[in-house]
Amino acid sequence: MIIRSAIRRHSHRIPTLPQLSWTRSLATEVDTETIEQSLDNSLRETHSIESQIQEKTIQIVPQIDARTHATQSLEQDGTAETYQQHRRRQKLTNPMGSTISPHYEPHTLLTHPPRPSDITLELLLASQAHLGHKTSHWNPMNSRYIFGIRQGIHVISLDVTAAYLRRACRVVSGVAEKGGLILFVGTRPGQDRCVVKAAEMAGGCHLFERWTPGSITNGHQILGRCRTKVVDEFDREIPGFDEELEDRPVLKPDLVVCLNPIENWVMLHECGLNAIPTIGIVDTDANPTWVTYPIPANDDSLRCVQVIAGALGRAGEEGQAKRKEKAAAGNITYDPVKLGRAMPTRGARGARTGGSGDDARSQ
Amino acid sequence: MGRYDFRPLRVHQTTTQLLNADRISTPPPWYNVVGSITPAQTLVRSQALPHRQRKLPPKTKKASKLFQPQKISYEEDRLRKEFFKDHPWELARPRLVIENDGKDSHKTDWSHIQQKEKALSGESVVQRQLWLRHNVPNMSSAQAYDQARKEFYDLRLQEEVERRVAKEEATSTGAYFGPSSLDIGMKLEDKEYERWKAWAQRQVELRNQRNAAMYTGGVQSEDAALESDEKESDAAVEEVSDQIPAQGQSALGGAIVHP
Repeated sequence: MIIRSAIRRHSHRIPTLPQLSWTRSLATEVDTETIEQSLDNSLRETHSIESQIQEKTIQIVPQIDARTHATQSLEQDGTAETYQQHRRRQKLTNPMGSTISPHYEPHTLLTHPPRPSDITLELLLASQAHLGHKTSHWNPMNSRYIFGIRQGIHVISLDVTAAYLRRACRVVSGVAEKGGLILFVGTRPGQDRCVVKAAEMAGGCHLFERWTPGSITNGHQILGRCRTKVVDEFDREIPGFDEELEDRPVLKPDLVVCLNPIENWVMLHECGLNAIPTIGIVDTDANPTWVTYPIPANDDSLRCVQVIAGALGRAGEEGQAKRKEKAAAGNITYDPVKLGRAMPTRGARGARTGGSGDDARSQ
Repeated sequence: MGRYDFRPLRVHQTTTQLLNADRISTPPPWYNVVGSITPAQTLVRSQALPHRQRKLPPKTKKASKLFQPQKISYEEDRLRKEFFKDHPWELARPRLVIENDGKDSHKTDWSHIQQKEKALSGESVVQRQLWLRHNVPNMSSAQAYDQARKEFYDLRLQEEVERRVAKEEATSTGAYFGPSSLDIGMKLEDKEYERWKAWAQRQVELRNQRNAAMYTGGVQSEDAALESDEKESDAAVEEVSDQIPAQGQSALGGAIVHP
């Protein structure tokens, strides 16, 4: 520890305080030059006093170890104590002040999404799920989902929305329980976080950038380089199947959840061609026949989309939990893939690559 | 059907056919799930929810309007229209439309006009008015409106006083405020006026130039002509006298004085 004490070295050079010149004028016209001069003087005085104080105080410079480049421990300079003091003060002052009543916090839809059991008409109303498009922009196929017209827009029936959403949640949890691969797609700006969160909860895949056309119909070309793996019933990877996986066809999702079907009509068409069930948020101007399970709701409100994606993600999470519970009890819910080489003893029973079994229709 | 593509809805049936034809060996993971949870009916048009009385025409050949969604109307709409017609500047007040949990109607009690969950606005007047009409005996709609309105005015005056006092307190402790909306408005008007003035001056100049260009002599030469000698003008007239037709005849398409 180096202690700099400047007094002994510089004592003979301590300057004397400068003589201050105070000019007081009671005249109505004040001379700006004298004011500036007096300001400069007082500034210089402050600086000189500051420098004197700094010279006299002991400044601790933490020594750095030449070999490890580590600074000295912080316990010796009081940082830890200061932090503890701060924490104690926070504990005292946090309960003080006003209590804010429960209110809408946007981030909670991403951090703590609602469960399918939490879906109520009030929640959907607050999330603006009932707001459709202008009456002139409607698709008459959706007439059954519409409650009425208000202020020039169609209002979607929330009881219909809730029923269809609960149905979609049952499908998602069922597919997750059977070990199916669920793809969550939401390509509008701002939908990326909820899509990733939902996919994470359901143990599936996400897509928030543009869908490359042909990813299913021309999968060998577009997704042929993607890494695939073999996992057991507990989702642990089983190594050693690289050669066999090269020969296998490219994976296709078992269920696709689309948060904006109007922009992703190409993907939904490909799913239709390949007999893949789809779930989609259908607004009053969208075509409900594009998806297997429509959810009539407002696709333009980010809050509504986050509620729906959150509920579907939670449903997937429940399905995954059920599957793992059954696997722990020794009951495998899916049909394991038959692979060529001899299986290792661990996890031999439940090998799966995700996707259906030997598909004669290779791409 | 021609224009419709039902493949997404027939996913389960397609897979069943593929399984039966041995095109695929094992059913996919979603097969039993989708089989048990059938998709809802599609392309069905049912009668629209009745929000208003439908006038049935005497001879109904096609019921086209029966399936069209109807406009939703409430008792409050008429009262809102009346209130905002009488108080148009209340529309200029900012309004928060975000809802917390959608249960605002459970938390409001219109036996008094001020609510914890809801800001004071024209809507509170309308709701209070309705409550008075339905809950106070022998209360006509006009009386209810007047009472609700007066309670509203009291609270708005209170707000104004609070705002004024807050401003005074703030100024006394050293706060300073920027230009008010009236000041900003005046500055914008002045700016626009100066712009218009410059434009108008330019237009006047251009008009004067155009007028000057219409006459051969121009403004200055006209003035000069008035000041010229009589003798000079007589001499000039004599020069062209044989080309100019005689007195008493109108020069219709007549002689043009060539220079």
